[in-house]
Amino acid sequence: MYPIWIVPYLTSGLVIGLIASFHILPSHLAVGAFWFNVYIERKAYRERRPELLAFVKRYTLLILIFCFVFGSLSGVGIWFSATVASPRGLSALIHNYVWGWATEWVFFLIEVATIYVYYYTFGKVDERTHLRIGYLYAVAAWISMIIITGILAFMLTPGKWLETGKFFDGFFNPTYWPQLAARTFFMFGIAGLYALIISATLKEREVAREVARLAGGWGFAGLLLGGLSSYWWLKKLPPEAQDFLFGGTLPYLSVLLKVALLSGGLVALYFLVFGILFPRLNNLPLAFLVLLVLFLGILAGEGLREGLRRPYIVAGFMYGHQVVGADLPAKGIKSEVEALNEEGYLSRLGYLPPELRRITDENRLTVGRILVAHQCANCHALSRKGLRSLPGLLEGLGLTDPEDLASFLEGLDGYPYMPPFVGTEEERLAAGAYLATMVSKTP
Amino acid sequence: MDFVASYVNQLRDVSGLPFYPWLFDFLLVLTLALHLLLVNLVLGGTSLLLWGRLFGGSFGLRLSRSLSRVLPISLSWAIVLGVAPLLFIQVIYDPFWYFSNVLSAWWALIFLGLIALAFSLSYVYYLRGGYEGAGNPLWPLLSLAALLVTAGIIHALSLQAIHPEKWSAWIFGDGQSYRVGARLLAFELPRFLHFFLASLAITGIFLMLYARYFDTRPDYEPTYLSWVGRIGARTALIFSLLQAAAGLWWLLSLPADFRFYTHPLFLLGAGLGLALIGLLFRAQRDPRSYALKTAILAGLTVFFMSYAREALRMQYLSRAGYTFSDYPVHPSWSSTVLFLLTFVMGLVVLGYVGLVAYRAGRGQKEVGAHGWGKAALALCWLWIVVMVTLGLIISFKNGALP
Repeated sequence: MYPIWIVPYLTSGLVIGLIASFHILPSHLAVGAFWFNVYIERKAYRERRPELLAFVKRYTLLILIFCFVFGSLSGVGIWFSATVASPRGLSALIHNYVWGWATEWVFFLIEVATIYVYYYTFGKVDERTHLRIGYLYAVAAWISMIIITGILAFMLTPGKWLETGKFFDGFFNPTYWPQLAARTFFMFGIAGLYALIISATLKEREVAREVARLAGGWGFAGLLLGGLSSYWWLKKLPPEAQDFLFGGTLPYLSVLLKVALLSGGLVALYFLVFGILFPRLNNLPLAFLVLLVLFLGILAGEGLREGLRRPYIVAGFMYGHQVVGADLPAKGIKSEVEALNEEGYLSRLGYLPPELRRITDENRLTVGRILVAHQCANCHALSRKGLRSLPGLLEGLGLTDPEDLASFLEGLDGYPYMPPFVGTEEERLAAGAYLATMVSKTP
Repeated sequence: MDFVASYVNQLRDVSGLPFYPWLFDFLLVLTLALHLLLVNLVLGGTSLLLWGRLFGGSFGLRLSRSLSRVLPISLSWAIVLGVAPLLFIQVIYDPFWYFSNVLSAWWALIFLGLIALAFSLSYVYYLRGGYEGAGNPLWPLLSLAALLVTAGIIHALSLQAIHPEKWSAWIFGDGQSYRVGARLLAFELPRFLHFFLASLAITGIFLMLYARYFDTRPDYEPTYLSWVGRIGARTALIFSLLQAAAGLWWLLSLPADFRFYTHPLFLLGAGLGLALIGLLFRAQRDPRSYALKTAILAGLTVFFMSYAREALRMQYLSRAGYTFSDYPVHPSWSSTVLFLLTFVMGLVVLGYVGLVAYRAGRGQKEVGAHGWGKAALALCWLWIVVMVTLGLIISFKNGALP
């Protein structure tokens, strides 16, 4: 086990979540926008209307800066945050899907090459070539989505991979197709909203209205079809996840679903009224506000997708606290739970100094804190304030005594969304002793 | 040391590798070398832009305009080329990379924030007058400062990774506290300088290429271009010499028992580096005609020096009882083939896009090569058709659909 990075209040898990959710905005724009862009560019050439190109140029600059500065860096940010927050989780993904990411990377190269050539050769190369570069970008970007969706969906529903350990069995898993469909259609929704923002800045009012109407149509259709695909995705969820969401086991998930639905509905309404019906009403401040609403919806949607995977990083394989919880004979992997319960969790913490490798009366609280950090801090704040605060939750359960806390840890996986606390009885007692100091501090 | 060895080996991923480690190692070095070249161009280019803008006279100002456009594009390439080595290092050196990053977790995130800042500033400069020669030099100055800090961070992360014997003390230094995430813990000046000085040398060579490339454009005066060529060749030579000196300093500071100066990869890299310096001496007379030769030799030098750096890492890690050669392998032929074929396909597509850029940059409006272009686009669609077909077959077979 690697050491644990403790993030006060937020938890390290939420840091990944925030960066990943932000990444959706530029990344889905990067993937969706060019279909709209080349559509307008083609229209401009075919109908001999060069004034439409003003939109195309400005839209491309937005994509160039927003997606290739903040999109690419927040994408790498997901990796870095997962590296520091959940190294074994990321490692498990990378050691199974490195070639998937490497393949995606080839398309990143194509995206970077084509976006710059496209932007800087406006009017400097023949129309046919320029349009082709645009199409190359659009297709390459969509392929990058085709690939990354496989890895994302794998985490929630690894499917047959749990038996075979094979790349493609995990990649084309039960929720792959609905998620790919949903993301593909939603990207048009996101692209439509950005196009509305850009069209609100155009000086040529006639062009602005025309683009706004078209963007409204694309965005509305995208959200509608994306919504239907999401329904398909919900239907394909495994029974445990369905129960978390609809059976009332984790009520916050149904709140997230409602937030996502509501914000999707509001954005769709904007497309309908300010895009399709009355494009001249489209304006910058309001369009920005709607972008915030959309971001809220995305945050809720991604939070839901992550929450449904509890208590796992890779469902049925690796727990949220980075312990492997299942055998995978195809790769010679054995569940670590039994071994850790027998040999002790501390046996895997080779970075501890000699004096902390065995529990004594003197170091019990120190070791207990390290064990709690390892097994809880990724999702729970250790402070009274913060996300899923441990002291708050334990007090809510009326647990204050070290031994009660230790036996509570023993039965932790009785909650279907919690991983088991792994380790020997002595380690549980040390963790319980530390937890008791947390709760007993309060009146 | 045995304890450290058993710990780092225990940290290896339980899934093993999906292919033999030599391939990941080769790709790691290859993509790192490309990444380094672009990072060099960004760091050196920002420095030269500032010099040209502030002190370079009318030609210098003109050069700063060109560089203001080059920098955001190169930074984009540097980032995307950095993704690949970042991926491959996690495959074969996972224990070290992850541990080092967790140790300095906040810094790993600050690293990205600073790159985003530098990137935004270089765009601000370009879009707000920099391309007209009137941008505010404060922006590239701040950008350079941010980039230097990121260089320091990645330097520390790489260095912390090869010293597992110090990890425990770094976390529990003062008794029993648990300090993870907030500090950077290692810095070696000669190593840092060796990388930074290279950036000015490589940018010098870039300027020689620039002088050659724009030869055909009527809007670029010959006197300006020969000035750029001369400045480029001189910068490349001076900083190659300084870089070699820093390299020697670094070599002397390495643990003596490594005897790294006898390592064949190091000797090859150093030999190429000396040949490059020799060539640069000759190139001073007529930089433009030497540009291509110099660039190829510099590329080879960076590639083999990256391999030498890799060999050095192996020496550090074998001291800690680790080698990737005994990492368990469960070959995934299907996904390996997927990558390799896609990679070849990508080269075809990139070749076409590169040709368009090359010809357009030289002022050719009808770029031609339509057959190649159509093939590139068709290959992308073919990729989708193959993947979707494969996916549907597997999904129905496994019961993932309907």
